[in-house]
Amino acid sequence: MTSPGDATPVKPPPSFSPGVARVASPSRYPEEHESTQSIDVQLAETQSASSSTPPLSATISDLPNRSGSPHSRSGRSSTPHLARSSIGSPFDGRADGSEDIRSLIIRSFSPTIAVHASEDTDDLVRNKGFKGGFWELIRPFGETVSGKVVIRDSIGSSRAWEDYGVRFVSFKGIGKATPSRDSGPLAQMEEVLKKQLDSSEGLMGASIRTKDVLGFPAATPLFKSYLQQLLCAAPAAPHETFGHPVANVIAISSRNPAPLESLRQLYADSTTGDRHLPDWVHQEYLRYYVLVHDEERDDITESTKLYDQMKRHFGLHCHLLRLRSSQCVVTDDDSVQVPRCEWLSPSEHLSGAETLVDLGTDGTPYLFDSDATAIRAFIRELVVQSVIPFMENKVAVWNDQVASRRRGISGRFISMSKRWAFGSSSRSSMGSSGGGNYDSTQHFYTPDSPEAVLRKMADFAFMLRDWKLSTSTYEMIRSDFGNDKAWKYHAGAHEMCAVSMLLNPLATSAKIKLDSVDQLFETACYSYLTRCSDAPHALRCLSLAVELLKSRGGSATESAAKWAMRVMDFGLVGSVGQILYTERVAACYASKTPVGAAKWGGRRRKAGMWSTLAADQWLKAGKPTLASACLEEAERLYADVLEADGVFPMPEMQNFVDNLRHAIKVEYLEARGFDARDDSPTEDPLDTEEISEKLDKRNHRRSLIGLPVQLDAGALNPQGPRDPENPNDDFERA
Amino acid sequence: MAAPPRHSTMLSISNGGTPQSGPNDKQTQQQAQTLPQSPGLRVPSNRKTIYDRHLNRSRNAELSRASFAYLFGEMVTYAQRRVTGIQDLEKRLNEQGYPLGLRLLDLLFYRSTSTSSSALSSSSTSSSPPNRPLRIITLLHLIHGPLWRLLFGRSADALEHSVSPDTPNEYMITDNDPLVNTYISVPREMSMLNCAAFVAGIIEGVCDGCGFETKVSAHNQPTEMWPSRTVFLVRFGDSVMEREKVLERSGVK
Amino acid sequence: MSYYFTILSPTDTPLFNIAFGTSKGGGDGIARFRFPETAQYMNQFIIHSSLDILEEAQWTNGAMYLKHIDTYPPAAAYISAFLTPSGARFLLLHQPPHLPSSTSTGSGLGSSSLLGSAGSTTRASSSSVAANPTSPQTEEAVRQFMNEVYENYVKTAMSPFYKQGMEIKSPVFRTRVTAAGKKWL
Repeated sequence: MTSPGDATPVKPPPSFSPGVARVASPSRYPEEHESTQSIDVQLAETQSASSSTPPLSATISDLPNRSGSPHSRSGRSSTPHLARSSIGSPFDGRADGSEDIRSLIIRSFSPTIAVHASEDTDDLVRNKGFKGGFWELIRPFGETVSGKVVIRDSIGSSRAWEDYGVRFVSFKGIGKATPSRDSGPLAQMEEVLKKQLDSSEGLMGASIRTKDVLGFPAATPLFKSYLQQLLCAAPAAPHETFGHPVANVIAISSRNPAPLESLRQLYADSTTGDRHLPDWVHQEYLRYYVLVHDEERDDITESTKLYDQMKRHFGLHCHLLRLRSSQCVVTDDDSVQVPRCEWLSPSEHLSGAETLVDLGTDGTPYLFDSDATAIRAFIRELVVQSVIPFMENKVAVWNDQVASRRRGISGRFISMSKRWAFGSSSRSSMGSSGGGNYDSTQHFYTPDSPEAVLRKMADFAFMLRDWKLSTSTYEMIRSDFGNDKAWKYHAGAHEMCAVSMLLNPLATSAKIKLDSVDQLFETACYSYLTRCSDAPHALRCLSLAVELLKSRGGSATESAAKWAMRVMDFGLVGSVGQILYTERVAACYASKTPVGAAKWGGRRRKAGMWSTLAADQWLKAGKPTLASACLEEAERLYADVLEADGVFPMPEMQNFVDNLRHAIKVEYLEARGFDARDDSPTEDPLDTEEISEKLDKRNHRRSLIGLPVQLDAGALNPQGPRDPENPNDDFERA
Repeated sequence: MAAPPRHSTMLSISNGGTPQSGPNDKQTQQQAQTLPQSPGLRVPSNRKTIYDRHLNRSRNAELSRASFAYLFGEMVTYAQRRVTGIQDLEKRLNEQGYPLGLRLLDLLFYRSTSTSSSALSSSSTSSSPPNRPLRIITLLHLIHGPLWRLLFGRSADALEHSVSPDTPNEYMITDNDPLVNTYISVPREMSMLNCAAFVAGIIEGVCDGCGFETKVSAHNQPTEMWPSRTVFLVRFGDSVMEREKVLERSGVK
Repeated sequence: MSYYFTILSPTDTPLFNIAFGTSKGGGDGIARFRFPETAQYMNQFIIHSSLDILEEAQWTNGAMYLKHIDTYPPAAAYISAFLTPSGARFLLLHQPPHLPSSTSTGSGLGSSSLLGSAGSTTRASSSSVAANPTSPQTEEAVRQFMNEVYENYVKTAMSPFYKQGMEIKSPVFRTRVTAAGKKWL
């Protein structure tokens, strides 16, 4: 069964377009003047019909109007961002790339599908050049299911998603890597970062970050990659079921001599054999049977017959996948490149880097067009017709049988009695008694206990993107885990509760109480970090908090910045990670755009400061290219709040920025083999004084409060009277 | 540049006769700006600087009306030299008033914070410091009441808002008999002149100091009873009006 | 506690700066910021960045003393603000001292160890009342300090030789501010 018209995978819309709202700082200034003076000009016209936009000084001397207060100044900071008057929309950040990040986060929590293939199937695929076998072949295609995927939520309304995906994992891999207690993945991520950076400084610089991609509200590609690794770094764990298989794809090939027996054997393997999943994985997952037909060696009629047999034995969840068994090379007519895996864990990144090098000849990631089409069709059918309905059904059943009882009066009563009876005799019909289901020695709930089922149901709802239901479910169970001292569960439920609250598009930012979200994250983070010393999860939790709060816009961005600082504060990231999060703080503040006519609420200065700090750190890390990008960004951010000449009012700041700029320039040029030492304009010792002098002048030139154009000031002005026609001088001469 | 004389006079007075260099010497001018502070400054024999003087001492001090009249008369004369017209003259008077407004603002608030018997707002009896005006109306009440009392010993006579929908940013403060005009009769050919432009400058300084971009002008509006009745037209800038709307919405008083 | 006090004009020009340490509880009145000596510009950066908050807060809160308006968590710095009616801004950055336990004097903000230790210090020191920058006692002390500076500022502003927006260079003013710091902070 191949559904037509699903040829190309539909990528999520790239809202992250380079160069959005990016205005070179110098060219801004003229516009700035225009807007600054507008009120003066208007007033001038009403009063004395002296029109035709007067230059700055002329305006001042013409009018006895002192508009130099910061209030009027802040009123002029009109930026390109303001044009987009999106006040309080949950998708506030759409234009600054946070929609992109949102989609990334949503996709990271996609259903896991185990792949369990027979030896003959893996052999067949290995012939095609995929060393990892069947799993490796279909994995990249699963990340984006072609076409729209329609999902019904718990109240029956449907929504189509274009960016739906599933994650294929090797069945053998699940739960084998026990959740490590050390920060293994974090160290690996840092290592990956360093690698990426080193390659970026060389030839691949453009691919990692080109200058015009930067624009602070958006995420840098480097950070995006970091976030992706972080989100898929955590192995399957008892306390959350995202890594648990929703379905198991059992595959045999047409080469198999005893197909039905093999299928039975594989099934038995997965349930009872030594390969069976850990005890904490719920055994009730979907089994899906695939017959891989070798187009080149075997007879399709035989396979069709076998396929019909399979359907009779195993039901509807079957698929006949027709593949060619020979290897495809670039030069073949209908070769297509296999899409790259987007979701690679840090360790895969590290090992993948090596294989990429010696890839050259043997591991060609190419497929015949027909094969790619067949695989896409298979995955679409698997997801749309089997996995999604299965999950929808499970959610409905659990919601009906377990959750609604908890929600009802009896549920409340039970939880009350739980609290009072100290778990003694209140074993209820649901079997939820205080602490009874939590195995505190092995640290997990048995998979069929109501707590585990509810968590699974919430996770299913989450993966089906029914965030309303998942929020309420997490909300319902999160305190239970605390009562049982199941701290990791406790942390996970709090974390996901906050995350689904923030993802729910229907809940407007007004409805969500940011305080409570913050509280949830706080609790989650404390449980992860202090009670469980689980740094990877804590980092994931905080990073989710940062990105989702940031994408909310408005006052949430301040919380986002706060959490990003917390990440650095806890020391969860390595030295390069520190810089990335410094950039994120800047990005959070930069995305807080001024609101309303009075244009308050901008955080330009804060964003500028953090961006400058990031530049400093990049420089210290020996990456002048990145440092200069950050500094440029800082200048752009500061352009709105500084006077038109871009000089900081505070001399030490100015000094620091000047020196930084110079150092970056020197290093940048040196890295390219130039000697830049000869021009060092900012190094003379008189620098500070010069600046303060400059400040004084500016101070007098602008139309400030206490402007020296008054009373007795003219001659005190260090610049002296500039304009002989100016009547004020006349005044002084009197 | 023929500006110097007046300045150097002032400087030499306060510098206790230190020889003053020419006006082009910026260095000394710079010093002179910060005169009471710069190291070379003359400290009175009792070692008391202005910092040792209490700000409220002169609060209830009365000043002879004659000396005020002389002083103000001199100011008008001074401003009048080589002006191009009435508007120009009024502008100068306005500029003389402006810095006074800025300073009065700080003094006004200081005096009302440091004493519990608040002179600032007659209604508030609490000893807590008064708030900075955030809205136009509070600002205008501040000018109409406390500021006027500080300057002239009584409140202004009326405070009105423009009824025209075209000019919602215009407000009028009326003084039936402004002190500054009491001893001034304007020649017929200058009949448009109102020397209360000086007071308009003070108002402007107060408004601007509080963060309200404003233009204030003084106009003659004589009546039978009050021949020197003066209306101060206060026109707020657009940014102020926009902010006003936002504050209105968010319920800031 | 270490303090950095700045007066800014309505257009962000610094009019007056002073750094001092606490004189309470046996303090010697010398500022010891968490930044290394080479990074003292951070105080100005932090102060400057808090203007974002101040510009917003000044239109929602009509009081002259706005209490603490901003923090800079990586250095556990708090910023209190006082606004004069004529628009000058008094900003006080206060920073609880390093606890002896945290020994890192890293090269800059970049190093994770420094940031990490700064954070732990925050949590540790926030338990002791004296060093808690958000306690009512601290707020009150800062308010008294600000009021005293305000009085002297008004005197400065009244001088015919001073104009708004000019740097305050008076040694007498500086002495007065120092005395106020000694008295209240």
